Amino acid sequence: MINITPLIPELFLLVMAIVVLMLDLFSSRRTVVVPAYVSMAAVIITGFLVFKFGGDAVRWGSNAIFVADSFSQFFKVIILGAAFLAIGSSFGTADRMTHHRGEFFALLLFSTVGMMFLVSAKELILLYVGLELTTIPLFVLVAYQKTNRASSEAGLKYLIIGAASSAILLYGLSLLYGYTGTTYLNEIAQKTAVYFLSHGFIPNAEGTTDLVGMGPAFSVALMMIIAGLTFKLAIVPFHMWAPDVYEGAPTPITAFLSVGSKAAGLAAIIRIFDGMLYAFSHDTMPNDSWGTMMAVLAAVTMVAGNIIAIRQTNIKRMLAYSSIAQAGYILIGVIAASKLGVASCGFYMFAYMFANMGAFAIVGLYAEKTGKKNISDFAGLSKTSPIIAALMTMFMLSLAGIPPLAGFMAKYYIFAAAIEAGYTWLVILALLMSVVSLYYYANVVRIMYMVDSDNKHHIIPSFPAGLVLALTGIGVLLFGILPQSILDMAYKTASSFIF
Amino acid sequence: MPADYSAVLVFIIAGTGIVVFTFLLSWFVQPRNPYKVKTETYECGEPIFEQSWTQFNNRFYIFGLIFVIFDVEAVFLFPWAVAFKSLGLFALVEMVIFITILLVGLVYAWKKGALKWV
Repeated sequence: MINITPLIPELFLLVMAIVVLMLDLFSSRRTVVVPAYVSMAAVIITGFLVFKFGGDAVRWGSNAIFVADSFSQFFKVIILGAAFLAIGSSFGTADRMTHHRGEFFALLLFSTVGMMFLVSAKELILLYVGLELTTIPLFVLVAYQKTNRASSEAGLKYLIIGAASSAILLYGLSLLYGYTGTTYLNEIAQKTAVYFLSHGFIPNAEGTTDLVGMGPAFSVALMMIIAGLTFKLAIVPFHMWAPDVYEGAPTPITAFLSVGSKAAGLAAIIRIFDGMLYAFSHDTMPNDSWGTMMAVLAAVTMVAGNIIAIRQTNIKRMLAYSSIAQAGYILIGVIAASKLGVASCGFYMFAYMFANMGAFAIVGLYAEKTGKKNISDFAGLSKTSPIIAALMTMFMLSLAGIPPLAGFMAKYYIFAAAIEAGYTWLVILALLMSVVSLYYYANVVRIMYMVDSDNKHHIIPSFPAGLVLALTGIGVLLFGILPQSILDMAYKTASSFIF
Repeated sequence: MPADYSAVLVFIIAGTGIVVFTFLLSWFVQPRNPYKVKTETYECGEPIFEQSWTQFNNRFYIFGLIFVIFDVEAVFLFPWAVAFKSLGLFALVEMVIFITILLVGLVYAWKKGALKWV
């Protein structure tokens, strides 16, 4: 008999997703309020359950296949937070839908369950199934406004690219399985390390030993897994789907995609590379170092994301490129492969959740009210809706990493971890790119405050949207000034790893 | 190390080679004598009366989908029913969960009007 208590939060959320689906089916009142509030309540209760049933693992024989350790708990809180904020900011979007309103929230919850599985998986097949459960509902959600051409196009693009990247990832995982004969992450970690130690040294002419790699198939496996997972994180050069999909999808879904799906993909990357393949993190492994591969990707991502973002006129596209650049910063924490690195990744994602969800909530509200989506349309917002403009300023500056906001502390710890691990060149590049990013983030602020317009739109958020803005605003400010409690939690998550 | 992969290279070359070779061989030795009956899709079957690229009701798709789901359910149910006694309570509970999930799906499809033929 398998002990399934660690799965209770996931099972609860799964049942609640089905309940939401049924609720919409049998309620006579055609309103979004009931399924939406039930979904929000379900997410909050799941958050409590995550802490109540944490610490244990589901085992198959002696191997853990699903762990509810502090690392997964931390990332589940980020994912559930993103889901909560996405549902909160989607009341307006869902209200304007003519059909399939209940399914909208049910699909969002199904995707959240998939993400929770993804961060807890300690077995390759469970990891892959979690990934599919995450992305398949998202394909539908992205294409939800099916009469809108941009939304349909985004859905189709996301489907094709998502399927291709899943296939690449699966091929990489199968090569890894071929190498080790097991799908359990801890067994793969042992076997690859042992194989390397027993076969990895060959004597050379000087009588000392040279290190050799594991062989070409192992490098190919590493490359394929990196490619498959960084597709989900929209790392350059696997980013080309992100701007179109982010622009076409309904705004709350864009926000959920850019935070929830990124957090889950990041957790999977940390589990696979920092956890399972830690032995291959550094340059001492001549052919099989994933650290070098990822460092190049992170550098290219930061440069491309930030520089292309400058040219954007559509605010959702601008935020899409900004989130590509942010993923580049986060990857630095993975490369550092240390306790501080993992902790800073977690904290960065936490801070990024508040700023990005808040920014997208405002973009969604503004588009709902005015139908306008360009950065220049925000002119004069400080006069008509000063509080909204002030919040948007905070989110932009937090994304840029300006003290005393949460984004600054997050960047600070990522850079500290990278310097500790010896990647000084990457930190210098990241700092330069942060300066570049300040230009386009501050540009939004400049347009809101300095540019006059005859804009008369007074934005009054509905209660749930107001709640989202209040929570994200408080989060950005509070965890910028008092980051210690979250940092301690993030630091504890690193105890799940061997370093 | 790379020498271990020489088998893969040989396999790729031999595999491609055999395909190309058989195609070329049949190209050289085949007698070419096409006439009307021979170029039909089913040379020895029913005579063709219409093109296969026609429009058909996409409700067939929904029905097909629902049929496949319950078909697979039946496939799962039979071995469980045969080994019912030896599997015990745990399998019974699992089966009830499985059938409940499918029932929810059926209710959903029914309520959404997927079973109605308009």
